[in-house]
Amino acid sequence: MTSPPPVSGDDQSDRPVLQPNGRPRPLSPHLQVWRWHVTMAASILHRISGSALSAGAVLVGIWLLALAFGPECYATFTGLSASPLGLLVWFSLTLALTYHLASGIRHLVWDSGAGLEPKTASLLSGLSIAAGLVLALAFWAGLFISGSVAL
Amino acid sequence: MSGQTKSFVKGVKVSEHHGAGEWMAERLSSLILVPLTLWGLWSAMQLAGSGYAGAMAWFESPVNAGLLALTLLVSLWHMNLGLKVIVDDYIHRPTSRGVLLALIAVVCLVLAAASVFLIMRLALGSAPLPAGFGA
Repeated sequence: MTSPPPVSGDDQSDRPVLQPNGRPRPLSPHLQVWRWHVTMAASILHRISGSALSAGAVLVGIWLLALAFGPECYATFTGLSASPLGLLVWFSLTLALTYHLASGIRHLVWDSGAGLEPKTASLLSGLSIAAGLVLALAFWAGLFISGSVAL
Repeated sequence: MSGQTKSFVKGVKVSEHHGAGEWMAERLSSLILVPLTLWGLWSAMQLAGSGYAGAMAWFESPVNAGLLALTLLVSLWHMNLGLKVIVDDYIHRPTSRGVLLALIAVVCLVLAAASVFLIMRLALGSAPLPAGFGA
């Protein structure tokens, strides 16, 4: 709020930032002035989870590499994965995956032209957040109950 | 779709550049990924805690190896499209944008090539690396 208006040509687009009358060019409202609603939260979460999954793709590559390097290397990898921090990383990636999947299906429904009324759109967004959470929790409950993973 | 004349479908102007193609590719890749992701979660459930022997046994099935390669390739395609949208949204300076998009494409291509190479080795039961690379 108190920062001085940037001089002309100071923003990324190289468009003039000052209007001819010397005032800063009006910008579209940024995140902090919007009242949060579920479709907006789901949209932001979709982008965040997608970005996290890019890191997940690198991690899957490291998993393949560790396995291809033989038993000792793989034991180091699984040891790190089974550490508290490793489990937190894998759980976060599971949640990112299940949410991005549910939210992605929501987008495919919208792309077909259905579910775009405000109430339905909000319902679908709430449902994808719930479905992502439930799927990820069920996946890890399964891992702990079957004894595949232990803390 | 020529660059000069605007064409319309049902009163809506069609994309004059590659935007429509990227939009379709993103939808097509996500449609393919829905069943593959569910299969991936189911497979991860079996692989977790199964150790080296369990993982190697899993790779003995050509169906597993093939589906994993397909899942990773389509995922990396989808990842490249998704990251491109993010860069297009936030990075407007042409040089930065171009460099970032090239970097993302290279990372995706390297990941794709390395994944397919490693999956093939694991599926064929090759000796642990660096066998075949001077050791």
